[in-house]
Amino acid sequence: MLRTLQLILPALIPSWNFFDVIAPSPRIEYTTCNGPDDTRLDWQPFRPRPEQITLTTMLRRLVWNPRWNESLFLVSCAERLSQDITPDHSAREITTRLRRDLALTTTASHFRFRLVFIHREGTEITSEVIYISAAEPIS
Amino acid sequence: MTLDLAMRWTEILLALALTIPTLEHITAGDPRERLLFMLRLPLLVLLAVAPFPSLTPWVCLTLCVVAILALHRFEGPYNGGSDKMSLLILFCLTLAHFLPEPRWKELAFGYLALQLTLSYFISGWVKIRNPDWRTGRALQDVFAFSAYPVAENLRTLADQKSLLLAGSWLVITCELLFPFSLMSKWTLIPFLILAASFHLSNAIFFGLNRFVLVWIAAYPSILWLQARFIG
Repeated sequence: MLRTLQLILPALIPSWNFFDVIAPSPRIEYTTCNGPDDTRLDWQPFRPRPEQITLTTMLRRLVWNPRWNESLFLVSCAERLSQDITPDHSAREITTRLRRDLALTTTASHFRFRLVFIHREGTEITSEVIYISAAEPIS
Repeated sequence: MTLDLAMRWTEILLALALTIPTLEHITAGDPRERLLFMLRLPLLVLLAVAPFPSLTPWVCLTLCVVAILALHRFEGPYNGGSDKMSLLILFCLTLAHFLPEPRWKELAFGYLALQLTLSYFISGWVKIRNPDWRTGRALQDVFAFSAYPVAENLRTLADQKSLLLAGSWLVITCELLFPFSLMSKWTLIPFLILAASFHLSNAIFFGLNRFVLVWIAAYPSILWLQARFIG
């Protein structure tokens, strides 16, 4: 009951402070390996955005955009994981989706993911790795 | 616009706003997620069509329960602000249906209009207090390194400093002036069109497509409030 109230109250009494500060922005990266002892680290961006999108794609995505909306949810999960808010749930949600995507594209048996936070320091844009997962089986 | 008509329009628009996200979860989600959203789909049809108007309060109440289950499933909103607004609309509608006195109904539905107004005004207020927004730096950062731009080539807009400075002040000014648009129907309607265009541009540049219809679904409440108390 208390948890339900914690979840509902931000909707019933919203803060509406959209983009009040531009916080460090998370990226999810992954590397594949063949078991927990395989320490290869060839980090790749997870679901990198395209260089550009066509007008047709843009119009279609105004209506139907499940993959992007899922990616935005994963951004929330990365932020929660970095702030130690429901970390197990957030890591599980990211792992599940990485596993689902990688099962279609790789023959490796395991993967790791990491969270890289990009932010501005003065005039420079810098990045910082703040989380690296354990090796997870792909299938 | 009467209270009943405004509530009916809100129900139709909210059902439309939630149908596509529901279909997205059904087609792309995991089995538990699919089950939850398959439950929501017929409820949205009932909300939009209202074949049995006396059932609509119960449809709203059941949709609230499904929304709470979804909050538990995702440990919070799936898509931030748009989920919060849809939940707020649902709760206000449900309360307005079930409260016995006309004044209480107005209070519940008026709360939605108040929150809609605050959603713009507070967004403007927090921006104007931040020096990064006043100098255009914040909007540059949104394009330069935030997770939102839908394509890499949009990141080059971060170099258009004058354009982004003008854009920042346009957004801040419109958000802060929104409450004043309530003075007349003839100021409110253009502001709502402008606000809807703002949500549309966020959908185009940042892929925030779920915000567009959900925010529009709250517009009947502000149109009703303006006509009821200011006229």
